[in-house]
Amino acid sequence: MSIHVENNLKDSNCKDVFEQKAQYIPCKIEADGTANVSQYFEPYVNDNGNGELTATFRGHALDGVIVPLPEGYRGAMLTEAHRPLSEDSDRKFHVASLFKDIMYWNWDKKPSKNDNFVKALEWIDIADAIHGTEENETNEECL
Amino acid sequence: MDQLDNLQNILLSNDNSKNFLNCSDVPSICKQEPCMLGVDEAGRGPVLGPMVYGIAYCPINQSEILKSLGCADSKALTEEKRNEILISMLSDGSAKNNVGWAAEVISPNYISNSMYRRAKCSLNEVSMNSAIGLINKVIEMGANISEVYVDTVGPPEKYQAKLSEIFPSIKITVTKKADSLYPIVSAASIVAKVTRDHALKVWQFREGLELDYKEFGSGYPGDPLTKKFIQNKVDEVFGYPLLVRFSWSTAELMLQQKAAKCTFEEVEEPGSHKNSPRTKPISSFFAPKLENDEAKKRKQHKFFEERCLNRNNPFE
Repeated sequence: MSIHVENNLKDSNCKDVFEQKAQYIPCKIEADGTANVSQYFEPYVNDNGNGELTATFRGHALDGVIVPLPEGYRGAMLTEAHRPLSEDSDRKFHVASLFKDIMYWNWDKKPSKNDNFVKALEWIDIADAIHGTEENETNEECL
Repeated sequence: MDQLDNLQNILLSNDNSKNFLNCSDVPSICKQEPCMLGVDEAGRGPVLGPMVYGIAYCPINQSEILKSLGCADSKALTEEKRNEILISMLSDGSAKNNVGWAAEVISPNYISNSMYRRAKCSLNEVSMNSAIGLINKVIEMGANISEVYVDTVGPPEKYQAKLSEIFPSIKITVTKKADSLYPIVSAASIVAKVTRDHALKVWQFREGLELDYKEFGSGYPGDPLTKKFIQNKVDEVFGYPLLVRFSWSTAELMLQQKAAKCTFEEVEEPGSHKNSPRTKPISSFFAPKLENDEAKKRKQHKFFEERCLNRNNPFE
């Protein structure tokens, strides 16, 4: 099986699709599909200055922060029109929107460098150091 | 009615997902003469809307004014009569110059958030902190408080001991039904109740629902309008608008039935040994059972484990 991802957004005039918002909610939500984020969630996102955010989800107090994705990376939301019935057939996805950063939320706990999500992003730098090509490394040294 | 419009405007101008304080100036006589102060709450039980804590205070030798205002057991008063008394308190000359008041509107969101903290904060704690905050506030503003009367639904002894510790120079009386025993508590109860009623009347849904109090009712779980609201206004992902106290069992049960299941991280309660490593099943001491998959899979380095990273293919 191979996976194809098609990006037709290059032709889009609408800047919004390139800068969608992504929310990382600290609980398991057993739902798949659209959510009324702008109606039920965004009105209650408050910035206490200095980048500390608060919000509320299902009655739970949330503390948040904006986590930019690592340099050179973009988040993408993919959609699939039809999922093939057979497991061996190729699958085709389209890029529906892109995002540059994530609003990361903790339940009643200030986000910190020790959060798993933030630590997981460290892997990108380490992977580059281990698996990156020599060329990349010399480039970096030059910079 | 101007006074009530004014109250509504104040309620409207504040963020209804947060708490706020609304209080009168301290009458100058209350800065000189020793005063008694009453504390009461409104809207403790409802699943909708804020809980309001109210206080009223006046010089001890001016208690006649309270009676002439008609401050009696507020439960026995009609809504109109309560509105009337509050209007007099706000506009009538001798009342205004002798009786001060304050109200804290505790938002339904604050109540849910407190009860759903990692370290839970009960409604009783929220209540007590509000009462203490209000008393401190008017003392800071210069009121000379020497007696405090508090209405309580819970056991009075503990509450009384706590308040006496915080305010050692004030004579504290905490009792059930203080509302009908002390006119100053009735006055406080009227401040609280009228504020709560109007907070619901002017409630604006920031979620954009076009509804008002005639459709969601009093907020008591027994009210048929409130019941209907709780049943029908469920959002699959977010549950309810922030008018609702999520931590009430009425709301919790309905969301279990009608909304997507949401599971937050479990907080270990101190003293519980549910998953204590000491209670391993006895079979674990015999030859290790190898699960097929687990045995084959190469164990991941701790680095990945700590970061919840694994090699699953999300496209499978």
